[in-house]
Amino acid sequence: MNKNLNRRDFIKTTAATTAGVATIATGVTLSTYVSAGDQPVTDEKRWGMLVDTNKLTESDIDTMVSACQKEQGWGKETHSNEAQKPSWIKKIKVKDTATQRISNLALMCQHCEEPPCVDVCPTNASMKREDGIVLVDKHLCIGCRYCMMACPYDARSFVHEELTDQKEHMPRGKGTVESCTLCAHKVDKDEQPACVEAVNSDAVIFGDLLDVTSNIHQTLKRVQSTQIRADLNLNTGVRYSGI
Amino acid sequence: MSIIRYEEIHGKSLGFYALVAGLGTFILAALGSVYFMEHNGHHVTGMNNHIVWGLPHVFALFLIVAASGALNIASIASVFNKKIYKPLSRLSGLVALALLAGGLMVLVLDLGRPDRLIIAMTEYNFESIFAWNIILYNGFFLIVGIYLWMMFERRMNKYNRKVGIAAFIWRLILTTGTGSIFGFLVARQAYDAVIMAPMFIMMSFAFGLAFFVLVLMASYKWTERPLGDAIVNRLSNLLGVFVAAVLYFVAVYHLGNLYLAENTGVENFILMDGGIYTHLFWYGQIILGSLIPLALIYSPSTQGNRSMLGLASVLVILGGIAQLYVIIIGGQAYPMELFPGKEILEGYGAIAFYAPTLAELMLGLGGIAVALIAITYLVKVLPFLPESLADDVADSHHKS
Amino acid sequence: MNRVLLICISLIIANVFAHADNHINIGDKAQVLKDEGKSEEIHPDLKEIRIMHPEFLLHKRDKTLRQGVRTESDSLKACVDCHSSTDTKNEYIPINQQEQFCSTCHAKVGISLDCFSCHRTTPTPKED
Repeated sequence: MNKNLNRRDFIKTTAATTAGVATIATGVTLSTYVSAGDQPVTDEKRWGMLVDTNKLTESDIDTMVSACQKEQGWGKETHSNEAQKPSWIKKIKVKDTATQRISNLALMCQHCEEPPCVDVCPTNASMKREDGIVLVDKHLCIGCRYCMMACPYDARSFVHEELTDQKEHMPRGKGTVESCTLCAHKVDKDEQPACVEAVNSDAVIFGDLLDVTSNIHQTLKRVQSTQIRADLNLNTGVRYSGI
Repeated sequence: MSIIRYEEIHGKSLGFYALVAGLGTFILAALGSVYFMEHNGHHVTGMNNHIVWGLPHVFALFLIVAASGALNIASIASVFNKKIYKPLSRLSGLVALALLAGGLMVLVLDLGRPDRLIIAMTEYNFESIFAWNIILYNGFFLIVGIYLWMMFERRMNKYNRKVGIAAFIWRLILTTGTGSIFGFLVARQAYDAVIMAPMFIMMSFAFGLAFFVLVLMASYKWTERPLGDAIVNRLSNLLGVFVAAVLYFVAVYHLGNLYLAENTGVENFILMDGGIYTHLFWYGQIILGSLIPLALIYSPSTQGNRSMLGLASVLVILGGIAQLYVIIIGGQAYPMELFPGKEILEGYGAIAFYAPTLAELMLGLGGIAVALIAITYLVKVLPFLPESLADDVADSHHKS
Repeated sequence: MNRVLLICISLIIANVFAHADNHINIGDKAQVLKDEGKSEEIHPDLKEIRIMHPEFLLHKRDKTLRQGVRTESDSLKACVDCHSSTDTKNEYIPINQQEQFCSTCHAKVGISLDCFSCHRTTPTPKED
């Protein structure tokens, strides 16, 4: 080390150190200011939804379907026939044969805790996130449609034609399988799924099932609710009351 | 017992080239169909979000199931030491590999993303029976390849039995796995049945042998080599036993389902009011595919007649395709029971509609063509077929 | 294993071209930022981004999709946003077309692009 530090050297060293600290400091600051979206999700939360068919009207369900289409970019397929068009969420009208009572509900991917689609996928494309959201990793999907065979809720759709004008946050492509993502891209920003926001009433509640203070947790504790096909023991994240 | 001489087929003949050309046309048509389906997307097929597996899968699974059954003859020779089947072992291994290749080709080319086959072969989900099947199919190629090598190479003949046993066990696991693809699906009424695994094994015996009989009789007839009755009658009886066994499993499967109240819906659908599926089941699978072949094989008036055996084999194959159509497509067409005790008025619950398209049919037939062209070419250039299977050569008990 | 092989081969080939500085078309927004001298802030090392972008994208896609980590850095959306160009009618041209940003290199090295069979090819129009 030069004992006789001249002015030039002093300025150079200080400038370099300051620049270095500034860069690192910016990096550190940035990372502390960035929201929870930069950390992997954990199983501390489990996302779920409660659909109250007593309060949900048919037009509510139609609103949910169009909101989903608008948010995720499906529904504008031109070449597929009715049975081939994607159907991430659909309206089901059910009549109890004994009592003649009619209920309307919206059926989408149930985000099971033990998803049959995840079990059967040969490439791990069908997966469950730590926080319970079941997704298709389309980078790995080979389009074999076995998950569609296995799904007890007819929740998945296969893309039967070339697609364009996808939503930026929702890549979708010909030859892969897709289904409701519980608007993971919104949930990760602390927002709610598009269908829930569109209904905007307590007919559809969304939240963290494991958080005892959440609306959904407390409502589920208070009112009767059921899983569709409960006998399959899949522990779905989507629950229904009124059926 | 005389020494069996294996020989390639020498010379050129118009018949050979015509056969290869004909099969080649089917293969080209299949490739064209694949390009058409892949380029445009599956909307050009009859498959949809309710019938996700269609005619290509019927053919593919048929060929794959038949493939493991075709290895039976070699197994009976090596594993169960029935010497009379020994000369047929090489052909048996070849037919098995060829049928599997054809079946896998159809299966892979129908994928939504066939360009991602590498992903299917490198990213495995070991909880998935489908992934296990991929491993089992690849292993089958390897094991039967080694088995053929043991048979061809005189110095390796002493390992025949060991490799034969390995191959036998492997193909049992493979066919169990194929049946389990359906048997493990709890979601659908038609599939939630573990009996599908042994039923598929029995089906493989019948379909594989039917194919093998046709290939054997055709090869010997068209190359004018002698094929004695001793072998043919044995194969004929074996086919009869296998067809009867399949009938038994089908009966148990359906009776079992009928007994379970929760599955009567799908049973009524298949057995009575399913339209095309009911017709295919009774007329295709049962009458054409099982009862008539049994009559042809065992009835005194037709017993021993090779044309009748050939016809019986063809009917078994057609019946097998009908059976797989009913299982695969019929099983998907019937809606799932989403709300027991309730009636769905709108949104779901109708019988799903499926109309196969020409492209799908051509792909399926292309798979059969690939299998047959491989067999045709390889028996010509390699010594798969014994020079003679006349009774005095093949049967050590034969009194000349 | 296959992924490693793919990356090795890509790196070898891409290394040859990483030193080339002739992008015919780096995209509208990117051109503006380059003229403002901000290239180094975004891509500190041009060679690195050229060689390593497949690795960055592969890594990022798993973090985003499977783990829910959503950051701007290394995101495909951000690439498309900067490197798209508009035509004479001021409409964005799909980024995977010929003569656009990705193809100018990818056509030269002969590596096909699969991203845009699913991913959006133009930046999202700003909505009201």
